[in-house]
Amino acid sequence: MRVAFVGKGGAGKSAIAGTFARLLARAGGPVLAIDSDPMPGLAHSLGVEVTDAPIPDDAVTERREGEEGPRFRLREGLTPVEAVERYAVRGPDGVRFLQFGKLRGPAWALAGSQFAFREIVAGLPDDGWSLVGDLPGGTRQAFFGWGSYARTVLVVVEPTAKSLLSARRLARLALGERPPERVVALANKIRGPADVDLVARRSGLDVVGAVPWDEALAEAERQGLPPVDAAPDSAAVAAVVSLLERLNEEQTR
Amino acid sequence: MRVAVVGKGGSGKTTTSAILARSLARGGARVVALDCDTNPNLGISLGVGDEETERLVVMREALDEGESEHAPSWDSLIDRFGTDAPDGVRLAVVSRIEDPEPG
Repeated sequence: MRVAFVGKGGAGKSAIAGTFARLLARAGGPVLAIDSDPMPGLAHSLGVEVTDAPIPDDAVTERREGEEGPRFRLREGLTPVEAVERYAVRGPDGVRFLQFGKLRGPAWALAGSQFAFREIVAGLPDDGWSLVGDLPGGTRQAFFGWGSYARTVLVVVEPTAKSLLSARRLARLALGERPPERVVALANKIRGPADVDLVARRSGLDVVGAVPWDEALAEAERQGLPPVDAAPDSAAVAAVVSLLERLNEEQTR
Repeated sequence: MRVAVVGKGGSGKTTTSAILARSLARGGARVVALDCDTNPNLGISLGVGDEETERLVVMREALDEGESEHAPSWDSLIDRFGTDAPDGVRLAVVSRIEDPEPG
């Protein structure tokens, strides 16, 4: 399975992506959880100890002067699968976590790590690894192909005007040159049927799930703990279980 | 007064900015509200509505794509790429939407 969670900042992408990745890992099969936010937060929802894990500069070789092609490449002989084994941090339930570092200084300091990150994600073979991505809030990264590994792009949408406007913008991902197989909405922080209706009517997307507003999940977020561990019996986690079941079913059909 | 509101996604930057801008304007200040987000939503919180918020984004994109000429000065930028929001606040979208750097 290859999915990416996108949406407006604060819509709940990380909490849901982290939960989704852990549940998928429990079902067996290798899962790579991918955080491409330079202010990363997915680790908290996954239960991984480190929040950022830059890929060392020696994973890539820099283009020499006069050479053609991209500025960095994965070091000769290093395959994406080996790079995951080496650089992706191990988390609970066997989930692996890939990230390119935290933006602490100038952006160029992360350039090598970012190139390695993108080559690893783009080069992983289709069978085997499941990919669960968490993109930064907003529209920019998604439109620059940072979620292009995903077959299903899940737009996390709160029932608010701003979140819905972001969702309508993100719906245009389906119109790109190499669009994902589908772009769908996941309604979040839902307090009643009217909220789901609102997301269905105004996101411009099919709604594949609805995660309720959940105080137990909010408490897990306050404490920086993974919802699957801190609120395993919550309605929100149950809704992510349903989402995973639905996507699994649709995939096998 | 010149303030910038920053923080994590969803923490309330846009809402806070809009309330600040409208409150300042009600107090008699001349206020320009600048949306520097690549996913600009400030128009909604200021009260100009979805359509007008999107119209400003489309204008800003036209500038990036070279279909529209850059305004020669600060005042004309606010004039040409802005819109009137309630309480006399002038809103302009100033973020560059196209930028391949992450984040």
